[in-house]
Amino acid sequence: MSIRSQLLIVGLSTLVLPWAGCQYAKELELAMRGSQEQALRASAATIANALSAEPQRVFRDGADSPPFDKSAGDLYVFPLGRQPLLDGYRDDWDIAQDPGPLPEHLIPGGSPLKSRVQAGVTERYLYVYLDVDDPHFKPEPSDPQVGSARFDRVEFLLQKPDGTLESYFFATNAPGLIEAQRVVHDADGSDHIGNEPRLQAYWLQTKSGFQLEARLPLTLLGNRLWIAARDGTRDPLTAEAPALERLQGGRLFFAPRDLDELLATFVRAGTRVTVVDANGFKFGSAGSVESGTDQQPPADLGRSWFRNLLAIDNSRLPARGDTPDRLEGPQVAQALNGEAATIWLRTGRKDVALLSAAAPITIDGTIRGAVVLDQIGDALIGLRDRALARLFYLTLLATAVAVAFVVGFATWLSVRINRLSRAADSAVGRDGRIRLTMPEASQGDEIGALARSFESMLARLNEHTQYLQTLGGKLSHELRTPLTIVRSSLDNLESEGLREDQRAFVDRARQGSLRLQSILSALGAAARVEESIKQTERVGFDLRELLLSTVAAYRSGFPNSRFDLEVPGEAAFLRGAPDLMVQLLDKLIDNAVDFCPIGGKITVGLERSAGNYELTVSNDGPPLPEAMQGRLFESLYERRTTHDDKPHFGLGLYIVRLIAEFHDGAVTAANRADGTGVVFTVSLPII
Amino acid sequence: MASRNRGISDSVIGYDPAMKKQIAIVEDEPALRDNYAAALSRQGYQVKTYGNRRVAMQAFHGRLPDLAIIDISLEDEAEGGFDLCRDLRAMSAELPIVFLTARDSELDAVSGLRLGADDFLTKDVSLPHLAARVAALFRRIDALRRPDGTAEILQRGALQIDAEKMQTTWNGTPVVLSLTEFWIVHALARNPGHVKNRQQLMDAANVVLDDETITSHIKRVRRKFQTLDANFDAIQTVYGMGYRWVE
Repeated sequence: MSIRSQLLIVGLSTLVLPWAGCQYAKELELAMRGSQEQALRASAATIANALSAEPQRVFRDGADSPPFDKSAGDLYVFPLGRQPLLDGYRDDWDIAQDPGPLPEHLIPGGSPLKSRVQAGVTERYLYVYLDVDDPHFKPEPSDPQVGSARFDRVEFLLQKPDGTLESYFFATNAPGLIEAQRVVHDADGSDHIGNEPRLQAYWLQTKSGFQLEARLPLTLLGNRLWIAARDGTRDPLTAEAPALERLQGGRLFFAPRDLDELLATFVRAGTRVTVVDANGFKFGSAGSVESGTDQQPPADLGRSWFRNLLAIDNSRLPARGDTPDRLEGPQVAQALNGEAATIWLRTGRKDVALLSAAAPITIDGTIRGAVVLDQIGDALIGLRDRALARLFYLTLLATAVAVAFVVGFATWLSVRINRLSRAADSAVGRDGRIRLTMPEASQGDEIGALARSFESMLARLNEHTQYLQTLGGKLSHELRTPLTIVRSSLDNLESEGLREDQRAFVDRARQGSLRLQSILSALGAAARVEESIKQTERVGFDLRELLLSTVAAYRSGFPNSRFDLEVPGEAAFLRGAPDLMVQLLDKLIDNAVDFCPIGGKITVGLERSAGNYELTVSNDGPPLPEAMQGRLFESLYERRTTHDDKPHFGLGLYIVRLIAEFHDGAVTAANRADGTGVVFTVSLPII
Repeated sequence: MASRNRGISDSVIGYDPAMKKQIAIVEDEPALRDNYAAALSRQGYQVKTYGNRRVAMQAFHGRLPDLAIIDISLEDEAEGGFDLCRDLRAMSAELPIVFLTARDSELDAVSGLRLGADDFLTKDVSLPHLAARVAALFRRIDALRRPDGTAEILQRGALQIDAEKMQTTWNGTPVVLSLTEFWIVHALARNPGHVKNRQQLMDAANVVLDDETITSHIKRVRRKFQTLDANFDAIQTVYGMGYRWVE
């Protein structure tokens, strides 16, 4: 893993900043929610207390002792916003809910038809909508007889405001607007059927039966109403009304008429207040939670994903237990138990939660209902979102800047380290040269220190190398004096006059010392050549001419080898030292002759290539071992075995290298492609 | 290598022992000093040996030798021989001084010769060679002291060589050459146009030198002539073979 990726990971750790910011904001939101809950609960309790003070405006009757029982025929009366048209349809009631089933046998006796009922109330009228299944419609005869007339009808049994019961029925022989009828007891004891024009209805025939939309003036109506749809084929019209004691249910649950106005005075913008009775029935409501959120928060790019990522998830919250007539939920249940409560509810929008608080309305120690106060939680959250988004983006920007900086720094660092590493790789060249300077060494940091360590290491290595290189010269110098002592002693011994048998030993000693001397001389040769090269002046000379004359000399000097010379037609001018160039040739030829078998051929060539003269000396003979090729031109590198016993110290080729370098050139050794010999190539730049 | 012992002409070894010339050897290596002394004594010279500069100078203040052979590094003085040479040359302009040293660097040779030494030999030199040089130097001194008349003059264009006095002039101006240089010039000029290879030049100069040293001798000789005559090019290099004198 590169330093760059390591530091990138380190840099990415700054992502903890936006995360921490979000965590903080989340806690802030929880705290804010808590305070909003508290505030809303307090508001709900206040409203509840205010309402407790005016029970008559909230609850129409004294006590709703038995709870609402739909199956018993209790009827919830929806408050209607406007006067509906009496047309048999309830579309204009603006009530979402479908009619509930009308319990059969609500009015004892007879055979009831299956039907569904819904009731609504305006300022003056009670509206009842009835949807009746009646597969065999039996119309009302033109002159129905009480006691015997059989026709389909809807009976309305009203408890009047004075407590008396009055029975009406709606029936028709043709659909349309009709008036209610009732059985009138004449003074003579007979009964006849009379119309009641104050009760009107619209009879609408449908595929499966009929629909009836009836209108009753509230002045005629007490608190109870029983409705029944009669199958006329079986039940004749009867005169007697059932006794009140035998009737059950039929209670009407009205929302108090002016409660909404009263509630409106409590409502603040963005809140909705709802009053429910002990059964959870809505008595009235005012305000709207939407008003506060009408103004959408400014379009925020990161808002939605950002919410998804970090904010409290609202979609798992429970929905509002809301029906047109009832309001339910744990907060309502708890309030009706006597304890104020709040709950967070989900709304249509994912990012908006609804806070609902409920407080009990207690009158005379009895819990009569509850105030439910709703508020969108977003009023505060929106504010928080923008601040949070800013915080989030700022920290994200800071992270990006930090990461970019870290990556840039890492890149710079790795560039430097790579530079140093490359320099270290190439510090010791193939030819054994040591480059003493390192990049970055002037820098004050650890990399600079490393570079300086490399430099001092290389300097020590160089000293050691130089020591090794000069060792030969030093050794030769140091050994020269004792050798001279030996030789001069032998000279003296010889001059003293020797016997013949003694002379043989002295000769042997002399030969040994001569050999020793040539070894020492060879050892010191490199140093001498280096020194003489330093002092050499450069002159212009013709390399071709030089080759022509030297190769001629070699031909006579080495009669055992054949020499070929391949030179270009024109002169090859170089600037340098012709003496040294001859010395270079001498060494290469010496080397070639050493390895060239007797009768073998040595080829000296000169070619002009782009920018260079290529001087080649090629000889038949054994190829160079692979391992040796790079080190061949080092000082004192152990030479290959030759076919004579002359001392070899690898100095010849080292001198060749020195001279080639003096001419700004280079020397390489390679085997011939066909393996028949070796080619030494000296490249000399044309100046 | 053994072949390099040849070429010592008998004429230079032969010397009149009655003269009893005194030779001073300043050499800090006792064995070597004694060997040289023994060899030169055998040649009939009176030899005095000294181990360091101080002792030598003390003796030289008493009496100057006829010839001094000096090692460059003397005991703790790395260049004591150079100082000694300078002092000796100050005391006598004619006293032949020969450097004999294990050091063979070009720089040392140049320094030594610049200080007025007559020859610069490495310790590779064999005793017979050394004796030959010593004899030659004495001969030159003798020739210089002898009145003119028997001079053996070699004239090659602007070059004039007095082989007896070992003196060289170019266009009449003396060229100061060391003994080795003189013999090299003499060998080349004796047969103009003939190529002398390095071995031949070494033999002529009674020295065992390697090729590089011959090359630098030639170079130095050329430079000495060129300081007198910028157009001097009488010594030609024949690549791969050697050198020749052209008129």
